[in-house]
Amino acid sequence: MSSSGQYSYSYIFKYIIIGDMGVGKSCLLHQFTEQKFMPDCPHTIGVEFGTRIIEVHGEKIKLQIWDTAGQERFRAVTRSYYRGAAGALMVYDITRRSTYNHLSSWLTDTKNLTNPNTVIFLIGNKMDLEGSRDVRYDEAKKFAEENDLIFVEASAMTGENVEQAFLETAKKIYQNIKDGKLNANMTESGVQHKERGGPASLGDSSSSDKPNCSC
Amino acid sequence: MADDILNEVVSPEDLTRFERLYHEELHNGSVSRMTQFNYSFCLVRSEFCADIRKGILLLEELFKTETEDIDRKRDYLYYLAIGNARIKEYTKSLKYCRAFLAIESENSQVQHLESIVKKRMETEGLKGMALAGGAVLALGGLIGLGLAMAKKGNKESGSK
Repeated sequence: MSSSGQYSYSYIFKYIIIGDMGVGKSCLLHQFTEQKFMPDCPHTIGVEFGTRIIEVHGEKIKLQIWDTAGQERFRAVTRSYYRGAAGALMVYDITRRSTYNHLSSWLTDTKNLTNPNTVIFLIGNKMDLEGSRDVRYDEAKKFAEENDLIFVEASAMTGENVEQAFLETAKKIYQNIKDGKLNANMTESGVQHKERGGPASLGDSSSSDKPNCSC
Repeated sequence: MADDILNEVVSPEDLTRFERLYHEELHNGSVSRMTQFNYSFCLVRSEFCADIRKGILLLEELFKTETEDIDRKRDYLYYLAIGNARIKEYTKSLKYCRAFLAIESENSQVQHLESIVKKRMETEGLKGMALAGGAVLALGGLIGLGLAMAKKGNKESGSK
């Protein structure tokens, strides 16, 4: 692969990661982008950003992931990041029931602030801590089915199912584009299509954003 | 590379919404820290320098007057670093990053921001050098052309 090859891709998908404080959102992102577990992860301030290029049906896709702070005091400002998300990863901690109980509130925000075709993926994190389990698998599975969410239990620590959650979401988004449900290049869709032929580079990723002010 | 954290822009609706809240409270005589922070958070992500500068001022005020809540202090420091980086005040931005890392050295979010700012300083410094370098090359090209013409002239006169 040429040096530019690894940076070329045909789509950008925007994701957000949401859920209560301490459920492991940043750790999931870190495990996905760096393949490493980050112990003693501090609380995220506002939002953090991560990126990785993946492949779906032979097409290279750049995932642009916004990891939001779970602390209540950021709730008002992090809401602005829901807009234009193609995928939303909604996370709870299987060892803390309260984080599961709050899912309906996170789901309401997601449904209200994203577009109807945003793919919502429910992740029950910390599945490695089976001994302290506080939320049954089948219970969460039922909640997911009732609300039309894709669901998996995962572990940011061992890495189990982390890759799967991010990739399955991308596959579903890709399918929505192919089915014509999602119009790539509409800002609200959270999807950007790069024309074939010209090499798309990471540097182009901000082309849709306004340029930095030059003063 | 992955410096979207400095490129993403606040939506005008969000900016207006939090601005209105701020002014309402200001009008009523007391602005809550939450409202002031939310408004600054939008301002430092604006596409306009004047907004960013205003956001920095509001954050500085919050930082100076916050005495108890250490968590909030780190929020202010981080967004002061972001705001300054966006108006290319890289030295100031790094100063805030370092102040943060002096307390919490392992914070990957701030380490990430610090490396982006350093990279920007480097590339923008290099661009400046490339411009100067281009002028040297152009001058070199002119001299080269002159030499080639002189040589050609010699050759022609020599062949006579």
